[in-house]
Amino acid sequence: MSHAHAEGHTIDHLERATLEGKNKILGFWIFLGAEMVIFGTLFAAHIGLRGELNGGVSGSEIFSLPIVAIMTALLLTSSMTSVLAIQAMHRHELKGVALWLGITVLLALGFLGLEIYEFVHYVHEYHFNIQQSPFSTTFYVLVGCHGTHVAIGIVWISLLIGQLFKKGLTVVTAPKVYVASLYWHFIDVVWVFIFTVVYLMGKVG
Amino acid sequence: MAHAHAQAHAHAHAHGHKKRYTGVMDWITTVDHKKIGILYLFAGLLFFAIGGLEALFIRLQLAYPMNDVVSAQRFNELITMHGTTMLFLAALPILYGFFNFIIPLQIGARDVAFPFLNSLGFWTFFFGGVLLNIGFFTGDTLPDSGWTAYAPLATEYSAGRGMDMYSIGLQLSGIGTLLGGLNFVVTIVNMRAPGMTMMRMPLFCWTAFITSILIVFAFSALAVGLLMISFDRLFGGNFFNTAAGGNEILWQHIFWIFGHPEVYILVLPAFGILSEVIPTFSRKRLFGYTSMVFATSIIGFLGFMVWAHHMFTVGMGAVANTMFAVATMLIAVPTGIKIFNWIFTMWKGQIRFTAANLFAIGFIPSFTIGGVTGVMLAMAASDYVFHDTYFVVAHFHYVIVGGTVHGIFAALFYWFPKMFGRTLNETLGKITFWLLLIGFNLTFFIQHWLGVVGMPRRVYTYLDGQPGWNEMNLVSTIGALLMGVSVVILVINIVITLMKPKNATNDPWEDGRTMEWAIPSPPPEYNFKQTPLVRGLDAWWVEKRAGNKEMTPAEPVGPIHMPNGSILPFIMSIGLFIAGIGFMYDTLLMIVGGLGILVICMILRSLIDDPGYHIEPEEIEGKGVKA
Amino acid sequence: MAHVGQAPAGDQVKRSKGHEGPRNHLITFAISIILTILAFAAVSIPGISKGFVYTLLVLMAIMQVVVQLAFWMHLKDRGHFWPTLAMIFGALCIVYVVASAVFWIWFV
Repeated sequence: MSHAHAEGHTIDHLERATLEGKNKILGFWIFLGAEMVIFGTLFAAHIGLRGELNGGVSGSEIFSLPIVAIMTALLLTSSMTSVLAIQAMHRHELKGVALWLGITVLLALGFLGLEIYEFVHYVHEYHFNIQQSPFSTTFYVLVGCHGTHVAIGIVWISLLIGQLFKKGLTVVTAPKVYVASLYWHFIDVVWVFIFTVVYLMGKVG
Repeated sequence: MAHAHAQAHAHAHAHGHKKRYTGVMDWITTVDHKKIGILYLFAGLLFFAIGGLEALFIRLQLAYPMNDVVSAQRFNELITMHGTTMLFLAALPILYGFFNFIIPLQIGARDVAFPFLNSLGFWTFFFGGVLLNIGFFTGDTLPDSGWTAYAPLATEYSAGRGMDMYSIGLQLSGIGTLLGGLNFVVTIVNMRAPGMTMMRMPLFCWTAFITSILIVFAFSALAVGLLMISFDRLFGGNFFNTAAGGNEILWQHIFWIFGHPEVYILVLPAFGILSEVIPTFSRKRLFGYTSMVFATSIIGFLGFMVWAHHMFTVGMGAVANTMFAVATMLIAVPTGIKIFNWIFTMWKGQIRFTAANLFAIGFIPSFTIGGVTGVMLAMAASDYVFHDTYFVVAHFHYVIVGGTVHGIFAALFYWFPKMFGRTLNETLGKITFWLLLIGFNLTFFIQHWLGVVGMPRRVYTYLDGQPGWNEMNLVSTIGALLMGVSVVILVINIVITLMKPKNATNDPWEDGRTMEWAIPSPPPEYNFKQTPLVRGLDAWWVEKRAGNKEMTPAEPVGPIHMPNGSILPFIMSIGLFIAGIGFMYDTLLMIVGGLGILVICMILRSLIDDPGYHIEPEEIEGKGVKA
Repeated sequence: MAHVGQAPAGDQVKRSKGHEGPRNHLITFAISIILTILAFAAVSIPGISKGFVYTLLVLMAIMQVVVQLAFWMHLKDRGHFWPTLAMIFGALCIVYVVASAVFWIWFV
């Protein structure tokens, strides 16, 4: 696989030390481009249809901003901690990487717990299920799609931590950690638009 | 990287030799881009045959007024499956076969960027295709709402499981396609040999690159659209449920935001194929290489901006219609540039009319007719007349058959010796070409008039005594039968050629210009003994002009690192397939089981590192002597 | 487009020393927090027109995302030509999907 370009370059970042690592990172960026379109299309449906209540409840009636604010704080902080994990990786501190990734997972679990509580609450309190109205369908599919991404991220990063302890920081594991952090930032980026468009604008009406 | 290489090398010595599978196991575990390319090709040809049979039944039903070869329901299923199969399961996979086989060879790489993902993409596509066709085995209704699956026809008024097969089967095969597109983008950006700048890349790679970008962005929109249809059908969602306030036009937007780029996804690679075949058989370099690259990019970009021209009659208003009409007509400009460039390439060239070149030359007038009727349809005012008539059917078959299928057949004859080591029979190839050309024009040219006199699309029969309908429909059916015969001759040609001994030389057309012709036919599993140094556009032609018998190497002979094969992609796709059936029939056990298999395989893949194996220089030399 | 002309796998690993370190990342964190608080505050203040709040919210969300993409996801660094292109293309797609869907459902 080698194209032998190594000579004369400073390799200060482990994740880009091999062609496989570079491929993985670029491929993941392209994947994120596709993810943008996926979420963008769901946003389009939600923005278009959020006024269609079909006799059900509206966003301004049910959304509770304090919970959303806590969820936002958790996810934003977890995005920050995954940056710190990458920084620790660049300093070749295995324990630092594992620690910051572990904190990221804990914060994500908190976020996911609140989201599940929120969904259960809506269904029990307001009978706001997926079939109630176009607003409810687009809400659950959009926010649920994001929540699924969070859940996948939790499993993924947890497995990565295990791998790191087993294999250490190598040219194989480093790109995986880097890519997982990109994924995690992306989830936060999507959430920025979700709390803005779905919750805050929904609250305004 | 030297350090990584050394490390991997050390690994290989520690791990010893590769587990070598043979027979069927070899094919389902392979991660070699060439074998996956062949898998794509044959899977695509299989679906092409199925879609072709469906087309013949459609034409037989329409041969006479008030005919009853098939029932109305069966007819709806046939047109839906014909369109879906041909676009998603035949044309694109066959093109993917060529992408897989040829791109790494043309850019001087040993494999694609993600060999494992490549295999996963193929198997996901394949099982998605099987799921789409599963009604043939279970006796359910097949998908029956047209390949466009317009809501609410597809969501509320389609009984049975047919449209679930459509939404879930296409979802799977779409995921496979998306993975493939991602793979090709990274391959082309990161894996080019030293000296192979973007502007030295063969045009086939350029079109594949732009196509792959379109695939990544367009297929993700389709994925969401299909997800929405699934939610509406399976879980009582309200995306397209107008009674509850949903919006069915939303589906049309999402579908065409995907669907229009899909048209360019299918035709751009054919442009690329022509840009390889015509220079080779004209003994001239491609006229206007740079303008071709820019034309390709502009077509790709504009292709994303014009989706609403499929919806002129929805009631968008005059302003929106005009904007989309003008944008659509703009695409004719870069396409025209391409047509003229091919003609100028042939101008004063030493043209050889091989079967491959015949298909390429046949492409030009056929595709131009399709382009011109496209501009007619692009005018919103005239589209109100043509909309949903056979004129539209004629138009897009001129683009797809006259464009994509001609391109695919040209590529098949052109690259067959490289892929299989044997040259297809030229005489049979020429018979295929002429039968196809006559049959195709007979079938579809007359449909322009059929549309203008008022025959609508997608009707399963018609009354006697309409002006000229009986005669024109009969002519169209005869043409379709001729096309069927031409494809049968092609299949016979492929079968008898594959039974012959391998005798193709490295450069069987003798005028090959790009790097795939510098290595043996078929190429060894590592492609290039040494990574080549690219010294100009048409790299192999440059070396030939310099009197060299092979490419100038960019590295010394050394051990070559190869990835190990893996059964995981196959099992993962089976997992997805089982989960898909579970969703369709509401079986929780199958959903959980299928997704469980998928997740376990993903975890295994992540935990178990693949150190790969090395091919030692001695082994390479031995093979070199044998070849 | 300078990158296009280069051989593959060029000097993407070479990067200026010194930008690393937690400072930029903490500043990004602070900017994100401030923008988030402003967003939540904007909807809590009564008496501002709806259109103004919407515009403000969207602008702040875009600002926050751009900052995060540039610093946390390193898009501002060298060797990120293709990732940046992928993000721009994705953003374009989103803009026209959202714009068309909203135009359709609301105004037609």
